[in-house]
Amino acid sequence: MTTFRIDGLDVEAEEGWTILETAKFYGIDIPTLCHDDGLSPYGACRLCIVEVGEGKNAKLTSSCTTPAQDGIRVRTHSRRVMSARKIIIELMVARASGSKALQDLAVEYGVQQVRFKLKHDDCILCGLCVRMCKEQMMAGAIDFVGRGKDRRITTAFDEKSDDCRFCGGCMYICPICELRCQGPEPPGAICGSCLDMEPTCLDHYDDAQCFMAEDSCGTCVREPMKGNLIEDKKEE
Amino acid sequence: MSVKIKNNDDLIELRKSILSNKVQDKPCIVVATGTCGIAQGADKVIISLKKKLKEHGLEEKIEIKTTGCHGFCQIEPYLTIFPEDVFYTNVKPEDSEDIISKTIIGKEIIERLLYLDTKTNSTIMKENDIPFYKKQTRNMLENNILINPSNIDDYIGIGGYSALGKVFSGMPPEDVIEEIKNSELRGRGGAGFPTGFKWDFCRRAKGDMKYIVCNADEGDPGAYMNRNLLEGNPHSVLEGMLIGAYAMGASEGIIYIRHEYPLAVKTIKIAMDQMREYGLLGKNILGSGFDFDISIVPGAGAFVCGEETALIASIEGKKGEPRQRPPFPAQKGIFGKPTNINNVETWANIPLIINNGAEWFSEIGVEGANGTKIFSLVGKINNTGLVEVPLGTTLKEMVYDIGGGIPKGKKFKAIQTGGPSGGCIPGNLLSTPIDYNKLAEAGSIMGSGGLVVMDEDTCMVDVAKYFLGFLQEESCGKCMTCREGIERLLEIVTDITEGKGEMSDIDLLEELGNVVKDASMCGLGQTAPNSVLSTLRYFMDEYEQHIKYKRCPGVVCKEIISSPCQHVCPIDTEAPLYISLIAAGRYEEAFNIIMKDNPLSSVCARVCSHPCETKCQAGKFGDPISIRGLKRFVTDYAQKNDLKYLPKKQESKKEKIVIIGSGPAGLTASYYLGMNGYNVTILESQPVVGGALSICIPEYRLPKDILNHDIDNIREMGVEIKNNITVGKDISFEELRNNYDAIFIATGAHKSLKLGIPNEDADGVLHSMDLLKDASLGKDINIGPRIGIIGGGNAAVDVARVASRLAGCEEATLIYRRTRSEMPAFEEEVEACLDESVNMQFLTAPKSILAENGKMTGLECIRMELGERDASGRRRPVPIENSEFILELDNLIIAIGEQPDISFLDKIEGIKVTRGNAIGVDKEKYTTGIDGVFAGGDVVTGPNTVIEAMGSGKVVAGLIDKYLKGEPVEREYEITRPSMYLEPPELTEEEVAEAKRPIMECMSVNSRSCSFEEVELGLSEEMAIKESRRCLRCDLETEEGKKQFEPAKEGA
Repeated sequence: MTTFRIDGLDVEAEEGWTILETAKFYGIDIPTLCHDDGLSPYGACRLCIVEVGEGKNAKLTSSCTTPAQDGIRVRTHSRRVMSARKIIIELMVARASGSKALQDLAVEYGVQQVRFKLKHDDCILCGLCVRMCKEQMMAGAIDFVGRGKDRRITTAFDEKSDDCRFCGGCMYICPICELRCQGPEPPGAICGSCLDMEPTCLDHYDDAQCFMAEDSCGTCVREPMKGNLIEDKKEE
Repeated sequence: MSVKIKNNDDLIELRKSILSNKVQDKPCIVVATGTCGIAQGADKVIISLKKKLKEHGLEEKIEIKTTGCHGFCQIEPYLTIFPEDVFYTNVKPEDSEDIISKTIIGKEIIERLLYLDTKTNSTIMKENDIPFYKKQTRNMLENNILINPSNIDDYIGIGGYSALGKVFSGMPPEDVIEEIKNSELRGRGGAGFPTGFKWDFCRRAKGDMKYIVCNADEGDPGAYMNRNLLEGNPHSVLEGMLIGAYAMGASEGIIYIRHEYPLAVKTIKIAMDQMREYGLLGKNILGSGFDFDISIVPGAGAFVCGEETALIASIEGKKGEPRQRPPFPAQKGIFGKPTNINNVETWANIPLIINNGAEWFSEIGVEGANGTKIFSLVGKINNTGLVEVPLGTTLKEMVYDIGGGIPKGKKFKAIQTGGPSGGCIPGNLLSTPIDYNKLAEAGSIMGSGGLVVMDEDTCMVDVAKYFLGFLQEESCGKCMTCREGIERLLEIVTDITEGKGEMSDIDLLEELGNVVKDASMCGLGQTAPNSVLSTLRYFMDEYEQHIKYKRCPGVVCKEIISSPCQHVCPIDTEAPLYISLIAAGRYEEAFNIIMKDNPLSSVCARVCSHPCETKCQAGKFGDPISIRGLKRFVTDYAQKNDLKYLPKKQESKKEKIVIIGSGPAGLTASYYLGMNGYNVTILESQPVVGGALSICIPEYRLPKDILNHDIDNIREMGVEIKNNITVGKDISFEELRNNYDAIFIATGAHKSLKLGIPNEDADGVLHSMDLLKDASLGKDINIGPRIGIIGGGNAAVDVARVASRLAGCEEATLIYRRTRSEMPAFEEEVEACLDESVNMQFLTAPKSILAENGKMTGLECIRMELGERDASGRRRPVPIENSEFILELDNLIIAIGEQPDISFLDKIEGIKVTRGNAIGVDKEKYTTGIDGVFAGGDVVTGPNTVIEAMGSGKVVAGLIDKYLKGEPVEREYEITRPSMYLEPPELTEEEVAEAKRPIMECMSVNSRSCSFEEVELGLSEEMAIKESRRCLRCDLETEEGKKQFEPAKEGA
C-alpha cells in the first residue's frame, strides 16, 4: 500500500497504481484524453497533468504515467494546473476545431476563445488508435511516422496494410472522429451548445460570445462557466 | 601483436618502456587533423609535407604526427614543429616546401605563417602564448597536442590508464563514488545533475546486469565539444567509462554517438580495438577480475535522442521518443535494467579526478560549479574555437579576452548559451559568471556548452524564430505541449517577423511559452521556449519595434525590411529602385525617385552618413554599394541637364506655420508643408540659410552653390525664409504662438561643450562651432602656427581639416583620449584628415591649459590606456599615472561635443528639458507640452546626423498636416516596400568577377590642402552604371518581390 495525498485528501493506492488510477478510485476528477483503461498509459495529451510536490520543487507531471509514491502531495486543480490545462485545450481545439469531445472540454474548463489560427485538422496525435490497434486488436497496422511537426499516423510506408482487418477499433476510440461538430462561429469561439443540450445556443450565449447583436441584447442570462465552478469548489 | 597487460605493475612497466623507446628531441611536425582541420585542408597539407620530406630525404628523420584539434579552429590548418615549438597557422600545401627547407633544415622561422595578433600587430611563435589560450585552463584539451588518437601508447605514455590502475589497486567501488561525490562534479550534458549521486543511485539499484552509456549525441547547432574530445583523446573518455562501470558494477557500456561524426566513430573503434589487445576491455581487466565491454550504437541524428529516455528507446531499437520520468533510468533503463547515462565530457573528467583527487578538482571553478568546462565559442566573434575554462569565468572574459571581441568593430548584442534550449543574455549581463545557477537566473542554461555570439546585425526575434524552427523539426512530437506549443510559438513569432504581429501576441507568447515549459514531458519541451522567453525578457523593445513600428532593428526580417538600404533610411529613400534605374540608364526617373523623398538630395549626395551603405548586403562579404556616390551621380546629372522635379502642389490653405531654424530638419519640414499648400515661414538667426549644413559643414565637403541649389528648390514650394531673426531677441516665442497655427522648433545643437579644466577661458582657446561658423561666413580668423584640437567626433575632424587650411596654421594636432578604432567620426573623414597631414595624438587627454598673462601657451596632457569594457563593449580610457607632458600650442580648439541652446524657451511653460539640454518630446509624435508646437532634429536628439534630422522634419510635416486638419496626430507605420520593381540586369561572368566598389576621384592632397574647393569629384557615368549593376537587389527577395518576374520567365 502506498499512502499519499491528493487535493488535501489522504489516499491509499494499491501496488503499481498510477496517480490517475488512485484519483479515479477516490472519485477525484482528472480530465483525460489520450488515456484509456484498456490501453497502456502514454502521457502524450498532457491533459491529465497534476502538480506534484511542494513549493519551489513542485512539478507538473502527467498523472496517467506517474506511479503513486509514498508521501507525495498531488494537486489536481491548482491554479498552475488549470492555466496549463486551458492552454492545452485551446491548442487542441485550434488543431481540430471540429471535435465535439474537444469543444466539450473547452466549455467545461472555461476556455472562451481560441487565440491561435484554426487548422481544422482531424487528428491531435493522441495515439489512442495506435495503441488500440497494437494492444487490443494485436494488429499493429498503424503507427506514428515522422518527427515534430511532420508526425502523423499511418500504415507502414503509407501502403495498404495486410495487418489491418478493418475492425474499426481505431475509429471507435478516436476522440475526434466520433462525433463531428460543424465548427464554431465566429472563428475561434466556442459554443458548447451540445454539452448544454437545451435550451438552444442562443439563450445560453454569454455577452462575450453573442454574435446576434453588436452590443449584448440583454436577453441572455450570463451563466458561470463550469470550469470556473470547479476552481471555486477547490478554493473553498 | 602487443602483449596483454595482466595487472597494474605491467601497465607501469609498459609506460616506462614506451617512454624509454621514445627518442628525445626527435624533430616532429604535429598537424591537427580533427574534422575541423580536415575541412580546412589539413590532410592535403600532410600529403604535401610527406612528399617534400621524401624529396629532401628526411622521411626517416622527421616524424609527422597527427592529433585532434587543439581548440583554435579559426586558424586551421595549423601545425607545431618540435623540438623548437614553432606554431604555424593557416598553412597551405604550398607552404610545405618553405616549412621543410627553411624551418626544419634552416632553423629559420617563417614570419608569414606565425599567428598574427591583430591587437598588438605582432606575431607570436608559441601556441600557448596566443591570447586565445592564455585565459584558459586546459585540463582536458591540453593533451590533444601530445596524443595521436589512433595510438594507445601515446595515451599510456602520458600517464593514461593510471587512474584505472589506481582504482583497481585499492579503491573499492564505494570509495570511487565517494571521491566523485566529493569532487562535486556535475553532469556536463546540460542538466548539471551531480554525477556522484547519479552513480550512487545506479549502484544501489537492484538488477542482474547494469548498463552505462556515454552520451555522444551532440546535436546543438554550432557545438562540437564532444566530437573534439572523442576525436582528439578517446581514451580519456573510455578510461572514465571503465572507472564508472567498476564503481557502479556495470558489465556493459554503450557509446551512443551520432553517425554524422564518422571520424569520431572511427577513432573510438580503433581505440577500443587497441584496448582489447592490451586487455583493457573484456574479461578480467588488469587482473582485477572485473569484466566489462563497450559497444557503439550509432544514432540516426535526432536531436531529441540526447534526452536520456529517448536515448534508451533508441538503443533498444525503438523510435527515439522520451517517456515520462519516474521511473528514472537508474531504476529502469535499457531493457528495464538499471542504466547510468553520462555525457562525453563528464566521463573525460573522471580520470582527472581519480588521479588528482577530489580536492584538486573542487579547487577549480566556483562554489556549486567545480572544474573546467569546454565551450564552443562561435558566431560573430573574432576567435572561433573550443575553449576550456574554469566554471565561473564571466561571459565578458569569454567574449573579449578569449574571443577577441566582435569582428569589424560591430557592437555586441547578445550571447546565446546552451544551444537551442538556451536563452540569450544581453550586454548588460555580460559580467554573469558561467555557472549552472547564475545562467539559470539569467533565463538561460549551461547546456552542453554552446556559446553563440551575436552582434548588432542580429535580430533577436529572428533568433527566436530560428531556434523555434529548429526545435519544431527536432521535437519528437509525442507530447501535445511540445509539438503543438512550439509550432504555435513559431507561428506567432513568424507573424511578428513578417510585420503581421499584434501587441497581444506578446502576452500570448509568454503565456504559451510558460505552459510549454511547465507541462511538457521531457527536457526538450521544458526548455524549448527559452529562446522566446529570454528574448522577450531582454529584447522586448525589438518585439515592439517589429509589431508597432514595422521596423527590424537588426535589419534582418526580410518581409519587414525588403531592402536593408531602404529600410534604414530615415527618410525612406527608395535606394534599390533608383540604383536599378541607373543600371537601366533611366537617370531622369532615378532623379525623380530620389527627389520624391529627399528635397536636399544634392546635399545628401555629399554629406549623408549613409546608414544604407552600412547595412548593404553586398558589404557583408565585400564592399557595400556606393549608394551615396550613385546619388551624387544622379544629382550631378540632373544639375548638368537642368532637370527639375515638379511634384504636384496642393491647393493653398490659409493656415500659417512657422519653423524656427533653417537646418536640415526645418528645411525638410518646410518643403513638405509647402507642398501641402500651407504658408510656411522659416526664421533663421544667421545671415545664411542651411543651419548646420552651411555653418558646420566645411565648404570643401559641401560647396555653397550646391546647398543653395537645393534651398532654391525648397523656396519654389512657396516657403519663405527670413534671415537674421533670432527668436527671443527679435521676436518673442509668445508672438509666434499668437500669429501662427503651428510651430516647429528645429534650432539644432550649436553650443560647444566645455572641457572643465583650468584656464579654459584663456585667450587662444576656441570652440569648434565658433571656428566653423567664422570660416563658413568667410570671416578673418587669426590663429597661430601650432593648433591643437580636442575630440574624436566628426566636429573635431572637420575643425582639424578646416584649421589646417587656414592661412596661419602650420601644424594641426588632434588630441583624442581613445584610439583611432574608437573614434566616432566617419572613417573616410579620418582618412582624409590623415591624408592632409593632421597629426593625431591618441590615448591622450587634456589636463590643464597653460597660460601666461591670460594668453594660452600650451596644453598639459596625460597619457591614457584602455581599461575595463563598459556594457557597450567599448573600453574605458584610464589615465596612466605620472605620464603628464606638455604640448606647446598657440591655439586650442575644443570639439568634444555640442548641445542645443534653448535659452529662448526659458520661461515658456510646457516645454520639457531633457538630459543634454534638449527639448523633451513625445518619441513618436514630436509633440511638446504645448498644443501645436512640435520639435525635431538635433534640438531633440542632441548632435546627430543630417539624415536623422531630415527624417524628423519629414515626419513632423506629416503630423502638422494632420494636426491642422483636425485629425488625430498619429503616425502610421508600414512595412518597407519599393513603389515599383525593375527587372534585375543580367551580369556576365566577367562582370561578376570584376565587380568592385569604385573609388571616387578626389582632388589631390597637394592642391586641396590650402583650398576650400570640393574634394570629392563624383563618379563617371561608366563607373555609376557598373556600380549600380553590382547591386544585389534585395527588394526581389520578399514574397512579393519573388513573384515579380516569375511569370515572365515561365512564359518565355
